[in-house]
Amino acid sequence: MWGTYLENLIESLPFFLKGLWVTVQVSALSLIISTLGGFLLGIIRSTRIRTVNIALAAYVDVIRGTPFLVQIFIVFFILPEWGIQLEAFTSAVLSLSIYGTAYICEIVYGGVVSIPKGQTEAAISGGLTWPQQMRYVIVPQALRPILPPLVGQYVLLIKDTAVVSVIGLTDVTRVGWFTVQRIPEGILVFGLVGLLYFFICYPLVWLSNRLETRLTTEKSTL
Amino acid sequence: MISFRKVNKWFGPLHVLRDIDLEIDKSEVAVICGPSGSGKSTLIRCINRLESIRSGELYVDGIPVHDKKTNLINLRAEVGFVFQQFNLYPHMTVLDNVTLAPVKVRKMSSAQARKIGGELLEKVGIHEKADSYPAQLSGGQQQRVAIARGLAMQPKIMLFDEPTSALDPEMINEVLEVMIQLAKDGMTMIVVTHEMGFAREVGHKVIFMDEGQIVETAPPDEFFDHCKRERTRLFLSKILTH
Repeated sequence: MWGTYLENLIESLPFFLKGLWVTVQVSALSLIISTLGGFLLGIIRSTRIRTVNIALAAYVDVIRGTPFLVQIFIVFFILPEWGIQLEAFTSAVLSLSIYGTAYICEIVYGGVVSIPKGQTEAAISGGLTWPQQMRYVIVPQALRPILPPLVGQYVLLIKDTAVVSVIGLTDVTRVGWFTVQRIPEGILVFGLVGLLYFFICYPLVWLSNRLETRLTTEKSTL
Repeated sequence: MISFRKVNKWFGPLHVLRDIDLEIDKSEVAVICGPSGSGKSTLIRCINRLESIRSGELYVDGIPVHDKKTNLINLRAEVGFVFQQFNLYPHMTVLDNVTLAPVKVRKMSSAQARKIGGELLEKVGIHEKADSYPAQLSGGQQQRVAIARGLAMQPKIMLFDEPTSALDPEMINEVLEVMIQLAKDGMTMIVVTHEMGFAREVGHKVIFMDEGQIVETAPPDEFFDHCKRERTRLFLSKILTH
């Protein structure tokens, strides 16, 4: 029994790899966009300009307070009713980016405001403009507290891409759904799906742990 | 060079500067002392608008600092500021700390900034640490780097906010020596400090502040030996007995 299933599974391996490629593309694009968006909004948020801050806090709270599944449904099914028609792939990248940006915004904001006020004051006294203060003085220092949770967030985002299968995008999870209809041994099929995710995520988990340890040991030696 | 006219400032309900009138001339060295919370740090932080004033007028080298429309970048380039906690950039080498503002604000070439930076580090006696990071330096060395960083912009005015208060006693003198040399070179300086030896040696006027007001201003000899106000005498007796 298991032998034939395994044979079938190996036969459909190219199909899995194709799905994996979709997962990788969706992940990579939305990670890049989320990182850029999150850094931009997080740095802007750190200015604590009242109106901007309220708007950004509202955005972050709404995104973090609702399921990603609902968000992707809104982008894919509701936006077309308002005349915005998007392909499944674009919808997936868009909704993941909106979602990821919110979380990364908070991570960056937290990192930036953790830098002592004296650093900003020194930069101000030198005559640096606000963008210069951020670029040369604050953000380079903030990267230390930002990086470990950022990489952790990447792992979460990659795993959340599994949800895009619900809007008909044939990522590796959806390939699993198709395959399990031919090979009823679910543990085998989804075991493989899980393994493929693990291969992508584990290096990042490892990196995040390493960054975390480096940070704590550096702190204790100070 | 610096002119306060009826300057007032509040922190919430707290009236931290009350009707401050103060004139500092070019090449003058003014020392401000007073109990903690008397507004002395706030006063000098207003000069490059790390703090903004509520009312009154404040001119620095002819620039109206009280005016919200004033371009502060030009002002700040002319005013060096040295902090109690040094506030060096920990992710940069000593030399990069010194050259950052000249390169980014004054648009100086990197080579020229490094040349000037090297000379300034030599002047503050710390040239051999140019490629070290701030965390590898002692407090006194860090503060001397901070002074060099302020001087790198070739400012017209240097402000010092309790520059020796965070230092171990044996490191205070190495910082004071640099400041004394600077005063002798004719720099316009305002120094918030309780180092009365410094005030006597190079100060032109000593200003005593209490509860947001300037209580008394006098040349050092007069200030220490014949102060007029009881409050000043009380304060001096506390800091000079040990």
